[in-house]
Amino acid sequence: MFKYYFDDFHPGWTFEFGARTLSAEDIISFARQWDPQRYHTDEEQARASPYGGLIASGWQTACVGMRLMCDGYLNESACVGSPGIEEIRFLKPVRPGDTLRFRSTATEARPSKTKPNRGTVTFTWEVINQLDEVVLSMIGTQLFLRRTAAAEDDA
Amino acid sequence: MTKKFHFEDFTPGRVWEIDGPTVGKDEIVEFARRFDPQYFHVDERMAEDSPYGGLIASGWQTVGICMRLICDAYLLQAASLGSPGVNEVRWTKPVRPGDRLRMKMTVLEAKISRSKPDRGTVLHRWEVYNQHGDMVMHMEGYGMYARRPE
Repeated sequence: MFKYYFDDFHPGWTFEFGARTLSAEDIISFARQWDPQRYHTDEEQARASPYGGLIASGWQTACVGMRLMCDGYLNESACVGSPGIEEIRFLKPVRPGDTLRFRSTATEARPSKTKPNRGTVTFTWEVINQLDEVVLSMIGTQLFLRRTAAAEDDA
Repeated sequence: MTKKFHFEDFTPGRVWEIDGPTVGKDEIVEFARRFDPQYFHVDERMAEDSPYGGLIASGWQTVGICMRLICDAYLLQAASLGSPGVNEVRWTKPVRPGDRLRMKMTVLEAKISRSKPDRGTVLHRWEVYNQHGDMVMHMEGYGMYARRPE
């Protein structure tokens, strides 16, 4: 069974995990596939942009955060998906050589009214660089099965 | 470099309709192995026992597909200065192998910056539909664009 259930994510629960360093090649390769804007794919053109150099697509930073969440705890959890994200803020550029870590903080946990075997948890998710600057923040929700429901399934 | 689209081109109510790709099973698994390796995105057999009853794409893959569609439709020809963020991402239906996506982008708001009058912020709504006409995702995203030089 799983290590983490709905019941474990009380407000104030926090988990930090990392790190992942992004190279220029990582940034360019992601952007060529998903977000080929000049400041993500071309070092020379990026220098002439308002960012003064190559920066990662914000979606790459979000994806790196997602992967760190999976490796940190999500793949050991009874997560059954996410209805969505309330907000995503791209707060600081991520540049080649930046080392990113991920922090998750639960802010609210609500048992489902219609499906008593699960509940919704709201989190603040932050991606943080090696200077301890938050480069991306999100407020997102996920659904988790309850521990009691899992125990009943086993019985 | 002269750009085709500036702040002035994103007038509230303007709509872009963009045809998207068919999402294959291998792409779903490959994306998820890199970025979102939850079992219902990477393991067909385990996904069958999940609440989704089969493999579904990571919501981040749907976002990535849309970002690329937007880039090819207008963003690479726009005087874009980046994005401060996104609001209200909703994954309203699963995207499954073989689904063909299309998106509709609507300009909701356009405001000239008070502190930097050479640019403005545009609020876009993205809606993504599958081949059955069901909405699979929507979100609202901000983009900053330079104003057209006089």
